[in-house]
Amino acid sequence: MPPLSRFCVPVSGYIITREETLSDVIIETNDLSKRYRAGIMAVDGLTMSVQRGEVYGFVGPNGSGKTTTLRMLLGLIRPTAGGCSVMGLTPGRPEVLARVGALVETPAFYPFLSGRDNLRVLARHAGVSYDRINPVLDEVDLLPRAADRFRNYSLGMKQRLGMAAALLKDPELLILDEPTNGLDPAGMAEMRHLIRNLGQGKRTVLLSSHLMGELEQICDRIGVVKDGRLVTEGRMEDMRRGTVLRLKASPADRTRELLLTLGGIGNIEISDDGTIVIDTDPARSAAINAFLVTNGIEVSELCAVRPSLESVFLGLTQEKPTAAESLNE
Amino acid sequence: MNSLVAELLLLRRRAANWIILGFWSFMAILFSYLLPYYAFTSGITFHDRGAGAILLIALLPQNLVINIMNSFPFFGGTMVLILGVLSMGSEFSWGTLTPIFTQRASRLKIFLSKMLSLAIALVPFVLSVFLLGLTASMLIAWREGAAIELPSLLAVLKGLGAAWIILAAWASFGVLLAVLSRGTALAIGLGIIYGLVLEGIITAFGREVELLNQVSKAFLRTNSYSLISSLGVSLPIQSGPGGFVGPSVPGTQSFIVLVGYVVLFVAVSATLIRWRDVSGSG
Repeated sequence: MPPLSRFCVPVSGYIITREETLSDVIIETNDLSKRYRAGIMAVDGLTMSVQRGEVYGFVGPNGSGKTTTLRMLLGLIRPTAGGCSVMGLTPGRPEVLARVGALVETPAFYPFLSGRDNLRVLARHAGVSYDRINPVLDEVDLLPRAADRFRNYSLGMKQRLGMAAALLKDPELLILDEPTNGLDPAGMAEMRHLIRNLGQGKRTVLLSSHLMGELEQICDRIGVVKDGRLVTEGRMEDMRRGTVLRLKASPADRTRELLLTLGGIGNIEISDDGTIVIDTDPARSAAINAFLVTNGIEVSELCAVRPSLESVFLGLTQEKPTAAESLNE
Repeated sequence: MNSLVAELLLLRRRAANWIILGFWSFMAILFSYLLPYYAFTSGITFHDRGAGAILLIALLPQNLVINIMNSFPFFGGTMVLILGVLSMGSEFSWGTLTPIFTQRASRLKIFLSKMLSLAIALVPFVLSVFLLGLTASMLIAWREGAAIELPSLLAVLKGLGAAWIILAAWASFGVLLAVLSRGTALAIGLGIIYGLVLEGIITAFGREVELLNQVSKAFLRTNSYSLISSLGVSLPIQSGPGGFVGPSVPGTQSFIVLVGYVVLFVAVSATLIRWRDVSGSG
């Protein structure tokens, strides 16, 4: 009889061992569904898993069911079908919530209280010592403004207070929904750095965002959701596997015509600035270059590039990327 | 206990709650002491409460409980209805149910802590009016050269208890309206129209239609006024601000009905809070 670790359970294409399901799967959903009273199917048979210690990106277009899923994982919304577990337990139970920090949608706090007093209220409900408040405020660089009322905070400061609230319990699992909303570029970079640090060690981060560049830099794995269903789930490098050729040649239209006469050429796209993206084997770049030059085309640039997460995402969600979007600059 | 401390912090720090307390205290003293005393000094009749010596006697310290209690079913009820709506409805408006329900305490525990904190907050709403009423009555007695006699401790305690349960019924009604409407504006509007208009109209029709008369015996105002009547509030209560023309029920019955309302309103609200989804807007 094989050992337990040899038993495999396929979850949407990602293979996890039986041993992992017992110890390392921190979030698991199984045919999770939510239909609202208006008849809207927000989440439709979603099956996904998040491993302990990873930073998992949860990607999808607006209205794809990301936030509804996160709310179900926090016990705020009840599923209408299927199920989910967090740390092996039903979401929303006090023993689960004690180990989870969350920032869902827009940070919501009491406007008449200061940032510090808002965290005091949450600390009381969480049974956490007030001693945790200053360190988490410091971690998000909000300590100097901690005495100001929440209503006077900028959007970025509100977001950072939301992050501080999520860290208050020093949680094993962080569920973050668009944590960089409202942050300026410097703030976004700081937040990315913070999330990356938080995701190190045994802490798990489930990060929902529509900013592909952000996820690309932070996440170990991503799950792409569309219309409430998981389209794909996998490691970041696997998602971006495959390369295309980027070409700058003149005249572009003639180049396109010539390329179409060659075999083994897939999609060809020409952007407004004349950049041509060719879906073909990059090993053929020398042969393509020689062919074009022989036929009087002036080639100024030719290189193999990996597709960006954004182009992968748009491809998976069946929205055609423009040539420029498909390039990994 | 932790959640209760959090809820008390919220109540204490919110300026709107202090404004409601101040406005309610001012209205209670204005209609219970200032305007009647002005009527007395001007030699005019103050609504159904008479004039001259009869009016003055009602304003003296020994009649503190009888005089001040008239304010609770009307102004007091309306003001704490707003307090109840704000304490619960704002959580929906601000979206703060999401962060507090994702801490550690259960929804039920947080909601009951909120109700307990509201119950505690009603104590100053009762005490402030009694203390201001006592001060006003003593000043009037001193100015008119009347003997200062205080009401019995038992009468005061009964008055405080009756006032608190009347306010608790109205505040919990406000909480229920806020939970049902998931906000503040509609709940305040509906609550005020119900308390000040609907009950009054049905009660007025009840003088001619027996069925409506029986229905109005279950109303918050009917039971609130019946409870204070059982404490010896014998001044005519018929017209003018806070006037009441409805039927009366026995004092014990009215007390039980009001307690029943508190339990019912809190239980229904708790059930809804516990089972309903918490979406972005609450």
